[in-house]
Amino acid sequence: MTLAFAFLAVMTLVSALGVVLSRNVVHSALLMSASFLGVAGFFVMLNAPALAAFQILIYVGAVTVVILFGIMFTQRPQVRRYRTIVNRQGWWGFFVALGVGAFLAYVLSAEDWGATRAGNGPREVAAFGRDLLGVSPGSEIFILLFEVASVLLLVALIAAIVISRRKTGVGVDRGVEE
Amino acid sequence: MPPQVQHLLDTLTATPPLESYLVVGAIMFAIGAWGALIRRNAVVVFMCVEIMINAVNLTLVAFADYLPNAGGLGVSYAVLVIAIAAAEIAVGLAIVLAVFRTRRTVNVDEVSSMRG
Repeated sequence: MTLAFAFLAVMTLVSALGVVLSRNVVHSALLMSASFLGVAGFFVMLNAPALAAFQILIYVGAVTVVILFGIMFTQRPQVRRYRTIVNRQGWWGFFVALGVGAFLAYVLSAEDWGATRAGNGPREVAAFGRDLLGVSPGSEIFILLFEVASVLLLVALIAAIVISRRKTGVGVDRGVEE
Repeated sequence: MPPQVQHLLDTLTATPPLESYLVVGAIMFAIGAWGALIRRNAVVVFMCVEIMINAVNLTLVAFADYLPNAGGLGVSYAVLVIAIAAAEIAVGLAIVLAVFRTRRTVNVDEVSSMRG
């Protein structure tokens, strides 16, 4: 388990760093899906195999494809030097992120979490489904959250269509011609 | 089998403690925050936000599996977070496409005005 943990941690963190530092946007998108695959492996190690399946279907599949579509529509050939992809706050941003990461890591590892042991999660998909639908005791709030999430997805669907729709009679879609 | 080898094997097959997952989540969150702060391309900023959301999901699921009183509910919260992140990426990329159509750029430094 420690070996698998080390492999997944290196894969996730190196891929995440590659997303930030890669000069090619398509490489960033593919490294992002590799990072999400590492997180899916962590979910399997944490006794949530159904969530790992969701992660692979939604993040590694759908979100990566949607982002690749966005890249396809919006990128122009450009000079790829770090001066052009990183804004002037590069080092300040690095120090801020380093401070946030060091602070979070220190607090989370210095805190006494009491008697922790692995294996408390809903390993069976049936228990997980009862939790998600608010049937099992202690999870009644999820009835409400499930409904709110479904309404939110509908609103986001309509909003995405309304925002990205071309106005009628305003000419051709200029994103395609390049 | 000599005891040193047995000890090494026990170390390699032991379950990692809760803190190791939390530290990986914290470092991943910091990397995503760094990218969201410094990159100029709006699409890459979205990718970095997704990395931050995944780091938080990892922390939630680690707590759900390790804390005995959590009841495993963090996994259900993680599903809701995934749904909200999917909605966010759809609306965000629609906004990026709309901005690109009017401004011909996705550089967030040049898109500082709210006027269409």
